[in-house]
Amino acid sequence: MIQRNVKISNKLGLHARPAAEFVEKANTFKSRISVEKDGKKVNAKSIIEILTLGAKYGCSIKITAEGEDEAEAVEALAKLLS
Amino acid sequence: MVGILLVSHSSKIAQGTLELVEQMTKGKVRIDIAAGTADNRLGTDAGMIKQKIEKIHSGDGVLVLVDLGSAVMSTELAIEKLDESLRSTTLIADAPFVEGAVVAALEASFGKSLEEVKKLTEDVKKYSKLG
Repeated sequence: MIQRNVKISNKLGLHARPAAEFVEKANTFKSRISVEKDGKKVNAKSIIEILTLGAKYGCSIKITAEGEDEAEAVEALAKLLS
Repeated sequence: MVGILLVSHSSKIAQGTLELVEQMTKGKVRIDIAAGTADNRLGTDAGMIKQKIEKIHSGDGVLVLVDLGSAVMSTELAIEKLDESLRSTTLIADAPFVEGAVVAALEASFGKSLEEVKKLTEDVKKYSKLG
């Protein structure tokens, strides 16, 4: 299992189009991936869950991946937000 | 790829939802609208719905999102009139219109099957808007 704390530096935050891009990227990995913000943990592969997280510009979130491609998954998703 | 059809009484509702969904999926999805009546009044038109299903059906199926009441009846009527080859792979999603459209389009763009897209779209009902 790999975890990383990421600060959202994308001005749009994790909404609409950036959220869709994030979920699309997450779906390219086999690992189970979650995103946590203020104690709320959601499935990174579900657009509706990511949208309910309400992660804005400047927020800190934690990405956790578990599976055969966990390192690549965390790396790629963290990169999308930075 | 599974096609997505947005059926609304109002073309403005359908067009606005389509605009939002297309911005999120960057035009990768087979999606269209069947909204309002042929003479531009509020309502749904089974003939128009049938025609749009035939247009976006690529063989992988079509999931239809509906807004209110008679949109369901018009869509059921349209599905009944389809050729047998399309009829069994055209399904109505029991889901909220906007959230359902977003989820359905995105999941379809990932290449998921009609059954998977329908289930994930209907799962939207489990989520609270206020988190």
